[in-house]
Amino acid sequence: MVLALSAVAADKLGDESDGSQAVPVHLIELYDEEGATIRADDEQPQPFSLRKTCSECHSVEKISAGWHFNTARTNVVPGRTGQPWILVDVGTGTQIPLSYRSWPGTFRPEQLGITPWKFVQRFGRQMPGGGVGEVESDNPDEIMRQFVSGKLEINCLSCHNAHPGQDQAEYAGQIVRQNFRWAAAGACEFASVRGIAATQSDTYDPLMSDAIAVTYRENKFDHKNRVLFDITREVPAERCYFCHSNVNVDKGGSEKWTADEDVHLAAGMTCVDCHRNGLDHNIIRGYEGEDTASKNPLAAASSCEGCHTAGRLGAPVPEHPGIPPVHFDKLSCTACHSGPWPEQRTYRTKTSRAHALGTHNVNKSDEALPHIVYPVFAGQGGIGAAYRGGLVVLRGSGKIAPHKLIWPAYWGILADQKVTPIALETVKGTVSKIIVKERLPGSGDWPAITTKHITEALKSLQETIEGEAVYICGGKLYRLDGDSGQLLEKEHSAARPYLWPIAHNVRPAAQSLGVRRCEDCHSTDSPFFFGKVGIDSPVVAQQERTKTMVEFERLRPFYTWAFAFSFVFRPWLKVVALGSCAVLAVVLLLYGLKALACVVKVLAEED
Amino acid sequence: MFRTLSIIGFVGTFVGIAVCCVAFPCRKECRWSPVEILRRLVHLFTLLFLEQKLSLVGALRKLVYLLALLCFVVLTVNGFCAAVVLEKSVSGYWIMLQTTAGGVFAVCLAILAVMWAGRCRFTQSDCPWLQGILKRITRWSIQTKIKDRESDAENQKPIGHCLSVGQKITFWLLIFLALPLILSIVSSMFVFFGTDWQEFLLAVHRYTALVFALVAIVHTYLMIRFKMKE
Repeated sequence: MVLALSAVAADKLGDESDGSQAVPVHLIELYDEEGATIRADDEQPQPFSLRKTCSECHSVEKISAGWHFNTARTNVVPGRTGQPWILVDVGTGTQIPLSYRSWPGTFRPEQLGITPWKFVQRFGRQMPGGGVGEVESDNPDEIMRQFVSGKLEINCLSCHNAHPGQDQAEYAGQIVRQNFRWAAAGACEFASVRGIAATQSDTYDPLMSDAIAVTYRENKFDHKNRVLFDITREVPAERCYFCHSNVNVDKGGSEKWTADEDVHLAAGMTCVDCHRNGLDHNIIRGYEGEDTASKNPLAAASSCEGCHTAGRLGAPVPEHPGIPPVHFDKLSCTACHSGPWPEQRTYRTKTSRAHALGTHNVNKSDEALPHIVYPVFAGQGGIGAAYRGGLVVLRGSGKIAPHKLIWPAYWGILADQKVTPIALETVKGTVSKIIVKERLPGSGDWPAITTKHITEALKSLQETIEGEAVYICGGKLYRLDGDSGQLLEKEHSAARPYLWPIAHNVRPAAQSLGVRRCEDCHSTDSPFFFGKVGIDSPVVAQQERTKTMVEFERLRPFYTWAFAFSFVFRPWLKVVALGSCAVLAVVLLLYGLKALACVVKVLAEED
Repeated sequence: MFRTLSIIGFVGTFVGIAVCCVAFPCRKECRWSPVEILRRLVHLFTLLFLEQKLSLVGALRKLVYLLALLCFVVLTVNGFCAAVVLEKSVSGYWIMLQTTAGGVFAVCLAILAVMWAGRCRFTQSDCPWLQGILKRITRWSIQTKIKDRESDAENQKPIGHCLSVGQKITFWLLIFLALPLILSIVSSMFVFFGTDWQEFLLAVHRYTALVFALVAIVHTYLMIRFKMKE
């Protein structure tokens, strides 16, 4: 009886739906991080804590296990590789993909000396809070700062506040100021925050001082000190766009009116129609095979195939006329339907999380680092579906899909053919003095680095580190020859680009690859196989290098060319085959009719 | 299912041919000594050559037949190795080889159909038992002719007589099967058929190819046997 009661008590009021499609009215009291109620007449009101406020009805612990918030957890299967956070430092010629997830090709932030607190400071602008934002720092230099800034709790309003006044750009601004405790309040429509935690001393006490103060709109509180939140279950696309926008800088630039929207959104759907989750916020990412890595029961049904073979949500069931079924074994749906129509050279793109799009004072230059190119058609790397002995077990796929790609550039230590990145602060102390001799471009592009700079920088680094210093960039590894001190360069596995599959924007069927003819892909000059992928390098002499798409698709170049060339003869083959069939049919008909004539004669008992 | 049927089909056909060779040898004085086997293999090899007695049309007919045979071997080995042995679809350079040989094979079949159709017409003497049935059920006035034919039939060796019929039957079967075989794969190259129909056409192509291959093997065996007896 006691156990049963305790099991019932664990689920809160809002954890389980009663079946009503309506959203309950959220006229609720606000609580600060200490659990104290915030009142309209408070002299020194504290910022509301969503963990405390929302946890009155919702199990925040369950929510915090969701995909957006669980990066700090070590037991989360990584699934398919995704967009990393990209650490950029123009002065040291660095752009390196970081992730707390075990995605092959990314680096853990601590490998570059970035603690969780510093990570939040740098990237929290487009994080919904939670995860590493709530990790207690054990760095002595940060413990006091974290007390001043507070933790970056899960900000439920980032997604679920339907009010047009929800200002994520302000949220990002609060993060920059290290106002983690105040960020959620500062972003919402009925509060404003002044003050900067970054400028406060380590002994700043938010309870005792009003250097950082939050002001609530008085008319938001009712007579019972409750505030009305405009909460939505179906998160509008606008909320998702703040972190998940993408712009093709080579095609129309950042002007929204020049680009076509994803066909699903144009048809009236929203992001969360496909990317669903329950209380556990284990959101569907929507890739094929996700059910091997995700416990979301709708994972399989919410992929492209899941909806479009069953006709869910009005999805048209495709016929794919004229396309041999072998294509569906080798290509993902996104290969033909997603991303921009491929041209002879890949495009450059900017994304919200990589380029801080939508935030104040963002660098709008098309050349701003990091440089991401797309679409790169490559074989997918498999889905991290489980852990075994501490290593990620990859399963499935290998199908060709469009990807975004970044060429990492960083300073590291070479040992046993493996390269370990050097902490950014160490690199800054030596390398940036050499590189910033060149005028850093205002566009945020690479400085004009030459091999001379790299040689000087490596020599300088060598004096401060143990091991052999190397520089990775543009797909190459640069090192100093031990004897002559000359700079050597070669291709190396550590310099391989990092790719992550993309699925948006989805083009309509009339704009899918192959809709015109087979030669959309199967021709000797088709971008799908023979397009050029730009190699991004800060080294001036290496900046025009390219690779061919076929190298990423793990196909043999000559075979691919020969197969594409054979399509020149395909119309002739059709004519020859149909002609032969016509002759065969005429012969059969002629002698068949003769045989029939015989039968007729026999049955007529003629001679 | 296809793999199982293919294995059963090929094994059964080759076993049947082997049994036929042993049970019904080409010649009465047939021996199985190594020298005799070697002699027969050499004779078999010489069948590939063009005989001097052939006219230009005859030579052309034989050349086309040999080319068709070569393409058939390539197509069968390439196609069934992938499907039966490797259990995957033909891909890579093999699909280019398959497509090239398939085109040539289609042309050869069309030429052979025109050149051989006349010779492969069924005649009255092909099936004496059928004539007997017809005689009974109709008042067919070829009874005298039948009597002449009957005496001929008694003098002829039954197996040689059946070979001729066998060749004709297999020839017409091949011509008939060639149509769905070629059309099923060519029509999939047009934008008429969606995925479900493409898979159906591929299945038609596979199973037709299996039957075609088995009939072609029997036809080739009968041809060799006929030539060896000559």
